[in-house]
Amino acid sequence: MPVLWLILIVLALAVAGFIAGRLRVTSAGAERPHSLPNYYGWNVAMKVMAPAFLALVVWLLVQPMLVDRQVTAGLGEGAVPEGSTLGLVMSDVRRVAGGLDTAVSRGLITAGDADAMSAADSDVRSLLGEAGVALGSDVSPEVLEAAQDYRAMNSAGNFWRSAVVILLAVGGLVWGVAQSNRDFRARNAVETGIRMILLAAASIAILTTIGIVLSLVGNTWNFFQVYPASKFFGSFTWSPSFGGGSELGIWPLLWGTLYISFIALVVAVPIGLFAAVYLSEYAGPKMRAWAKPLLEVLAGIPTIVYGLFALLTVGPLLLTVFGRDGLGWMQAGTAVMTAGLVMGIMLIPFVSSLSDDIINAVPQSLRDGSYGLGATQSETIKQVILPAALPGIVGAVLLAASRAIGETMIVVFGAGAAARLSLNPFDAMTTVTAKIVSQLTGDADFASPEALVAFALGMTLFIITLGLNVFALYIVRKYREQYE
Amino acid sequence: MYDAPLRKTDVEANEIKISAKDVQVYYGENHAIKDVSVELQDKTVTAFIGPSGCGKSTFLRCLNRMNDTIDICRVEGLISLDGEDIYDKRVDPVQLRAKVGMVFQKPNPFPKSIYDNVAYGPRIHGLAKTKADLDEIVEKALRRGAIWNEVKDRLHAPGTGLSGGQQQRLCIARAVATEPEVLLMDEPCSALDPIATAQVEELIDELRTNYSVVIVTHSMQQAARVSQKTAFFHLGHLVEYGETSQIFTNPVDSRTESYITGRIG
Repeated sequence: MPVLWLILIVLALAVAGFIAGRLRVTSAGAERPHSLPNYYGWNVAMKVMAPAFLALVVWLLVQPMLVDRQVTAGLGEGAVPEGSTLGLVMSDVRRVAGGLDTAVSRGLITAGDADAMSAADSDVRSLLGEAGVALGSDVSPEVLEAAQDYRAMNSAGNFWRSAVVILLAVGGLVWGVAQSNRDFRARNAVETGIRMILLAAASIAILTTIGIVLSLVGNTWNFFQVYPASKFFGSFTWSPSFGGGSELGIWPLLWGTLYISFIALVVAVPIGLFAAVYLSEYAGPKMRAWAKPLLEVLAGIPTIVYGLFALLTVGPLLLTVFGRDGLGWMQAGTAVMTAGLVMGIMLIPFVSSLSDDIINAVPQSLRDGSYGLGATQSETIKQVILPAALPGIVGAVLLAASRAIGETMIVVFGAGAAARLSLNPFDAMTTVTAKIVSQLTGDADFASPEALVAFALGMTLFIITLGLNVFALYIVRKYREQYE
Repeated sequence: MYDAPLRKTDVEANEIKISAKDVQVYYGENHAIKDVSVELQDKTVTAFIGPSGCGKSTFLRCLNRMNDTIDICRVEGLISLDGEDIYDKRVDPVQLRAKVGMVFQKPNPFPKSIYDNVAYGPRIHGLAKTKADLDEIVEKALRRGAIWNEVKDRLHAPGTGLSGGQQQRLCIARAVATEPEVLLMDEPCSALDPIATAQVEELIDELRTNYSVVIVTHSMQQAARVSQKTAFFHLGHLVEYGETSQIFTNPVDSRTESYITGRIG
């Protein structure tokens, strides 16, 4: 039974349960039940859906893993030909199994034939070709057998899946309806259920983060198995070559990242902060009403558009001033300065909108106090409001910094691709993120250090931005109470 | 009636400091102050009393143009300080506020050290030429604010770390440090306990020797204790203004009497 049908059945049962639960308390008599009738309905519906859907999700995740393991174990040593790997053979198995499914559903063969056919007396490859599944080579008997096993196990699994899910749903329905009498505290039960749903949502977010970190850690570990960490952290050269003998020192990339981020912050922090001060302290309500959304539009522009802006506008503009015809410091349009300036522009709304919120949170009483002593507006801002808002502003700047460090598209377009250690901001450089992209795009062999280095780079970046974020939160928390 | 002798001689010797004539205040469409005319004397404590929302704080904030910071607020009529119109175009509200200091309902020390809180006004107005001058001004202000003995050993601790009563006295010290001529106090004791209130009231009485003090209060006992003159506001009107002892013992207007005896408010 397809999963969609299963979901619809469970939903139908839930609706039925809702109505049954409601009816059972409303028709029970004149005495008022503990909770409103809808709560009894929701209680039953929740008891139908929660276990059934949970089981469905778990089953969908676990079944492929189990089937794969079983089939792999059944393949044995001889099934893997010279020059191939178990992984490749398994993907063959899956393709053949999928092809048989297609063939059966198109009526080319019967389900019984598919289970009974053997590689010796039928041409599986041409049969599957007819069904639209192209195979690279003839199907070996082991693979066909494994594919048949695979199909058998999956169809058994699917049958049991449907059975278990429907049984759980019906069980929940019976349980919920049985509970629905006047004294049952359905309202509290629903409350618990809602708490569980919210908790589940929060845990999914957290678990995903942990999953990402774990996958990074695993691959980083693999990288350090094939490439020494001392060279990764100790070398000042970045020259990957997929043929071997590459030198993968992180410093040129890290330097490029930090240099570009630094320029971006030098642009974004003063402008963003002044914009925030203007908007929150000086601008009238009308000005604010259109200037603030406009500034926030800037935050909504995709970074690739900023990248194009860097490549087509800012780079050539800088080149006319600092290039060969001008001061002669710049060789090409792509440079640290180009990327830094554009990234700075990208960060302005980020800094200004965060700072604006923080400045608005400074209590009016402090402003009144300062004005009451005869201070002007700018004196008040400089000496009272900004000091009071400083921790929050520092937090905003650090958050902006971690965005700058993680930014990719602007760098790809604006900064060039040369990994070098240079102090000249008009040189082309590259960053960690840009190199992660270039190492993983294309037909990379995922076992080579040149591809795996991307994970080590990603991990380094993750640790840096995580550190910055934690530090920002720490600063914000530590000084937050000062003016409360 | 003889229990509270009128301090007539004391009061009449003082000249007019602030004079208001036909003042109207609007918050957008709302007419908050209607036809208020009053003359406040120098070296006198004047109390503004009245039920919540009667406009006494609004009127107080007109006296140093604090209402300018509220966009929708509009003031009409004439208010003059020492005979000069404070709403004249040539008047700089910032300079005016240096002359007419203000203390607020909630203590609002800046997130700075105690010393810097008090030195804030003198610094922005350039009252001290040297560090020693500034030290002297700060000490004098803190002594006037009756808080010097409590904070002299920790002048560089944050002002926000003081207790509520100490914070309010710090704010008063901060206000007197700029040497204002008039001190406006908007319910300065509403956030304080009785002991801190007593200290602040004592302080107000001392301040009278140098300044003209205007205090808004909800406590009629407080008005009776600290003020020489009292103005009663009701629904945006100034109902009655006169000697404190007369207002509390023999009010002319029936509304004043009802408020004082607790029948309206």
